[in-house]
Amino acid sequence: MQALGLTAASPIDQASVLTRALVVRAQNGDSLAFGELIENHYDLIHRTAWKWCGNRTDAEDIAQDVCVKLGAAIAGFDGRSAFSSWVYRITLNAVRDLQRAGQRRGRHADAYAEVTPDMHPAEQEAAATSTQLWAAVRRLPEKQRDAVLLVYAEELSHAEAAEIMGIKEATVSFHVHEARKTLRGLL
Amino acid sequence: MSQDMNDDPFAKLSQTPAPDPRADAKKRALAAGMAAFEASQTKSVTAPKGNAWGQRLISIIASLKGNRIMDLRYPIGTLAIALLVLPLGYQLYSSTTLTPPAPVRQASPAPQPAEPAQAITTEAAPPELAPMPTTIAPQDDAVADDAPQVEPPLGTIEPQANAPAADARDTAAPVPLSPAPIEPAMPQSSVMAESAPMAQSLSQDSMMRMPSPGIIAPSSEPVMAPPPAESGDQFASFDEQRLKIAAEEPVSTFSIDVDTASYAYVRRMLEDGYVPEPDAVRIEEMVNYFPYDYLAADSAAVPFKPTIGVFPTPWNPKTQLLQIGIKGYVPPAGEDQPANLVFLIDTSGSMDEPDKLPLLKRAFALLVDQLSANDTVSIVAYAGSAGVVLKPTVATDKAAILDALDNLMAGGSTAGAEGIELAYRLAEQAKVGNGGTNRVILATDGDFNVGIDDPEKLEDFIKAKRQSGISLSVLGFGQGNLGDATMQALAQNGNGNASYISSVREAQKVLVTEIGGTLDMIAKDVKIQVEFNPAVVSEYRLIGYETRALNREDFNNDAVDAGDVGAGTTVTALYEITPVGSSATMVDPLRYGTSSTTPAASGDEIAFLRMRYKLPDSDVSQLIEQPITPSVVHGNIGDVSDDMRFAAAVAAFGQKLRGSDYGGDISWQAIEALARSGKGADDTGYRAEFIQLVQSAAMLAGPSAAPAD
Repeated sequence: MQALGLTAASPIDQASVLTRALVVRAQNGDSLAFGELIENHYDLIHRTAWKWCGNRTDAEDIAQDVCVKLGAAIAGFDGRSAFSSWVYRITLNAVRDLQRAGQRRGRHADAYAEVTPDMHPAEQEAAATSTQLWAAVRRLPEKQRDAVLLVYAEELSHAEAAEIMGIKEATVSFHVHEARKTLRGLL
Repeated sequence: MSQDMNDDPFAKLSQTPAPDPRADAKKRALAAGMAAFEASQTKSVTAPKGNAWGQRLISIIASLKGNRIMDLRYPIGTLAIALLVLPLGYQLYSSTTLTPPAPVRQASPAPQPAEPAQAITTEAAPPELAPMPTTIAPQDDAVADDAPQVEPPLGTIEPQANAPAADARDTAAPVPLSPAPIEPAMPQSSVMAESAPMAQSLSQDSMMRMPSPGIIAPSSEPVMAPPPAESGDQFASFDEQRLKIAAEEPVSTFSIDVDTASYAYVRRMLEDGYVPEPDAVRIEEMVNYFPYDYLAADSAAVPFKPTIGVFPTPWNPKTQLLQIGIKGYVPPAGEDQPANLVFLIDTSGSMDEPDKLPLLKRAFALLVDQLSANDTVSIVAYAGSAGVVLKPTVATDKAAILDALDNLMAGGSTAGAEGIELAYRLAEQAKVGNGGTNRVILATDGDFNVGIDDPEKLEDFIKAKRQSGISLSVLGFGQGNLGDATMQALAQNGNGNASYISSVREAQKVLVTEIGGTLDMIAKDVKIQVEFNPAVVSEYRLIGYETRALNREDFNNDAVDAGDVGAGTTVTALYEITPVGSSATMVDPLRYGTSSTTPAASGDEIAFLRMRYKLPDSDVSQLIEQPITPSVVHGNIGDVSDDMRFAAAVAAFGQKLRGSDYGGDISWQAIEALARSGKGADDTGYRAEFIQLVQSAAMLAGPSAAPAD
């Protein structure tokens, strides 16, 4: 548990000072710094997108989207929150945009999605129950899903999740609680 | 983190690593990110921070300096205008005579006739001398003081249906009326004999504002297939003509109506697979759509001669139909009267549909073909491309006229300022005297944005111009926006006719076959008055002409406007009459004696017909009088002329389509059979088309339309 937590969180922690410097340089127009910055964060973005969507195509689309958004918006990053939180927030927004657009595209898109070969093979998701759990979590209402995934899948603290989601810490706990209630019948 | 980590199902979520990103996807994404970054950098180079900052801080006041109007963050001007215009517009819309009242659904509780009776049945009123509760009609203008009217048989009205509503309103505003004696044995018979027929009391001007129709939940007619939910077309609602008692109200007066728009509209709706709204069905316009072979008039001085027949009613064996037909005098060929026509054409964006502007062009091309060297044509467009399109041009210069027509384009929604004034100015300019026709022909799909936006002012303007000798006809096109009521009102005020052009075929009928009737007026302000002999006729009912009813005293008043008859036009009026002693009598005789005036016995005459008309260039009316005697009575409907049978079939069709309180029982098949029997030679094919229309209506309305009681 502890080990896993470290592997997930360490790249950011180690890089936090470096990241801050890169951000400042990028904001001053240093494209090399920006390149390094997104290279360092691409894995985080992709991983997050994958966890939220559950398939490679969407994850890659979202990751690329987020890179573009970062490129356009880095000048406006005000440093009030951690850069990684900001990246999370942009990623989650991108996920939400994509999924809403998907809903608008309607049932046909769903039908294609069901047969897409991109579905991550079940063996990589530990077990069949795990697959069910992931599917159930992804079907939660947006806020509950975000809270659960940030806290459990990304192993962030409630405070960090609250910062990313732009809500109070207590509200994160509430959403997690609600999610548990929602899923009680399923799990 | 969660306290119960070990048995928390969510704990598993962290154990699933996401797959590593693919290298090429990552490369693509990074490249895209870099590109976006570069792009944002170059942007910020061209727009240095300070300047850009300044530009974003545009305040409202700075923008007033003049060059940034488009940058206003708050469209204050628009807001202010909207605040001013919306209430004003609503006021105009809801209070003027031109615009019809909000379409009234049949389901809305009818304020007048049905209620007292229902109140009796549902409240179980004490059997004797119960004060009759009546209601103040919600709209409370003309209706409020109307005594309850004569009723159709109430046997099948469901008391539960409207009872709570009626009760609620009764208790809310009970106005004790003169206590009406009620015979306990017959709680449902309508004893309220004092009938002040509403239609009669309505003046021509107020007829567009009729309150919600007093249509009783049709006693025998099952609900028809609903009309298209939102056809967008607007119709003024009107009450059906009520049954009247000959002894109390022996005189029926109405203006003739030569419009045919209703039939064309109904036909189109049925052909499109919809049952038209009841208010779109004006029976007299349907009957008058068809040409009939009535007696021709002898001379232009007495321009018509009535053709009269009485025969059994197809939908009620116990009553009879009295049919009065007139045919306008047809001037001998060769007498070519000059005509001065101004086409006032709507070119708003909504006209850009195949059945609107393009059809209109073809229709007018047909009309131009009919004109001769002493006719002139001008064209004015309004809305969209506004202005004079063609100055008065001799009608033989067809190339110029057709060119101008062809160049008309639909588009835009600009108000065609003074479109109508321009049209009348051109008409004045090319005015022809003595016997000629000066007419503005307005062609539109319902956009009456002609320059005068107050509908009443527009009517007054048209009325004033009519007195100077320029009349107005309205041709309606298309569907979805049609302002039927406005069309009618304008044409009535302009002494012209309103027609609905749905196809080239219809254009041919209105503008070629019946061009004489459309353009060559032979009599104006034609009014019909029929006085029934109470000794022979106990009850009567005029079929249709609801929007044309006149007061009895209007008949001899030459100032009161009425319909006009063109050359060769036929006009038909039908009365359903109940002979004295017939078991079909709907109103019981008064218990305490009949009305004091016993009619001067005039033998066995059924009724007396009076017609008033003015010759085109006269302001004094002439009178035609003729008694209706038993000599015109036919015992069998098979004995009368084809025309009469056919007219009866059209009337029956209209009544059934309207869900009429009277005659709704006749089956579609019976109507069709009747129409077939009256088809005659049918050179024009209109009657065959009508028969097909009955068939489609039967299909659309469904078999449920069979008699229910």
